[in-house]
Amino acid sequence: MARAVTPQRKALNTAIAALIGALIFFPIFWTVLTSFKTETQAIADPPVWFAFDWTLENYTAVNQRSDYLLHFWNSVVISVGSTLLGLMIAVPAAWAMAFVPGRRTKDILMWMLSTKMLPSVGVLVPIYLLFRQLGLLDTRMGLVIVLTLINLPIIIWMLYTYFREIPGEILEAARMDGASLREEVTHVLLPMAVPGMASTVLLNIILAWNEAFWTLNLTAAKAAPLTAFIASYSSPEGLFYAKLSAASTMAIAPILIMGWFSQKQLVRGLTFGAVK
Amino acid sequence: MATTHARAAARLMISPSVILLLGWMLIPLGMTLYFSVLRYNLLMPGDNPFVGIENYQYFLTDPAFTAALINTLALVVGVLAVTIIGGTLLALLLDQPMWATGIWRILVIAPFFVMPTVSALVWKNMFMNPVNGLFAHLFKSLGLAPFDFLAQAPLFSIIWIVSWQWLPFATLILLTAMQSLDREQIEAAEMDGAGALSRFRHITIPHLGRAATVVVLIETIFLLSVFAEILVTTNGGPGNASTNLTYLVYAESLLRFDVGMGSAGGVVAIILANIVAIFLMRAIGKNLDA
Repeated sequence: MARAVTPQRKALNTAIAALIGALIFFPIFWTVLTSFKTETQAIADPPVWFAFDWTLENYTAVNQRSDYLLHFWNSVVISVGSTLLGLMIAVPAAWAMAFVPGRRTKDILMWMLSTKMLPSVGVLVPIYLLFRQLGLLDTRMGLVIVLTLINLPIIIWMLYTYFREIPGEILEAARMDGASLREEVTHVLLPMAVPGMASTVLLNIILAWNEAFWTLNLTAAKAAPLTAFIASYSSPEGLFYAKLSAASTMAIAPILIMGWFSQKQLVRGLTFGAVK
Repeated sequence: MATTHARAAARLMISPSVILLLGWMLIPLGMTLYFSVLRYNLLMPGDNPFVGIENYQYFLTDPAFTAALINTLALVVGVLAVTIIGGTLLALLLDQPMWATGIWRILVIAPFFVMPTVSALVWKNMFMNPVNGLFAHLFKSLGLAPFDFLAQAPLFSIIWIVSWQWLPFATLILLTAMQSLDREQIEAAEMDGAGALSRFRHITIPHLGRAATVVVLIETIFLLSVFAEILVTTNGGPGNASTNLTYLVYAESLLRFDVGMGSAGGVVAIILANIVAIFLMRAIGKNLDA
């Protein structure tokens, strides 16, 4: 039901929302803008807004630092790898809990969630030492393993809430028609589950891409994803604002775009289905 | 009803997840507990004798711990206050009829997708830097002396940065909850002559209560573990002024290589987080039955 409002009221609302939206977004806007300036213009006093010599030299410079593409690729491998690995482990579990719920299903779900509450820093020492022992420090493989494990509960929960919305009668009907378990899954369940799985994947890639505890503590030069690479700009190098901005823009752009497409799923995934 | 066969299959399908999560929880947790009762420093090779609760005594009586505990609480409470109040106001605003809502919503939630190291560095260098930051320029144009945010108000600055990152989360969830509010109920109240303020107080706030609880609890879990923002801005300083519990444990473990002490700190962090977790689990568990 649309509420009756005067156009003036609507215009006022729009103006306030635009102003506040612009203020909140401003740091991102300013970063993107600065990435097209020269270093001198980036720190000009007073700040220059649009009347500067737009340049792509920062992007070239950042990419020429031979390692940038490596770190970008590390981020891709780690976030996509851990999400897909997690999905492979989680789909059967979520399927089973959604469609063959037992007496203890709820307890298992709650327990899985509780592992997510374990603060990472509480197990920093053993994981660090284990990784050192196993030669997993500063490897992409090591980070894929850790991020898979820390995001597994979220993946299972999201899939579970989506699977639960698939009507069970359809599966019953397929079963009556003599469909085997495998046929039931591949021909009936999966097509209905694909949208939910896609949202789960999207949210988890975002979370893994931005994860900044394990990625900072378990990597050095070789396997560092963008989170850790950007952190290296906290040294005096960070005073090269234009280059910092270019590196930052490239690091956040893909995830910002994905995030905008997954607003609704974000709410559901991050609240474990408590708010939809 | 599920057959025995289906049950066996289901158990088989769940077990990999359960085993992995059980291992991920129990092995490191056991090791943390074990290390926490040893005198074990990576810089001092040799045996690691059992010392009982010595590490805990040192950790808990260290002034740095008290400082870190206070900072952790200030950070959590500060960010929660900003994001819940700001988030409610923003959600209310975005719920009003207006043009191009989608665009404004996108602008508001964007900070959530910025990785912590980027947002911390952008704020630190391009805004809070006392010489070249935009705030410095702004202060100067107002005739004020430049203010070195991260040196003079480090914790406030970190609360500011982290609030910017989490405001979108609170807004988005409260907005989602608001949009599921029954319009007819509001209209009925309107017809009965309830003013905007009393409608907000008696209908909107109770309805938002549950969503707000979820926001508080989930944010708390994440805010107890704020790390990257501190690492790249202040390194916990000056002194311990912006060291939280997570950063303190990190410093003991990976900067001073004191495995025993770091582990004791880790156990303390786990206990604290668990107190919060119990409440969170209850809130979410209730929803499962619904």
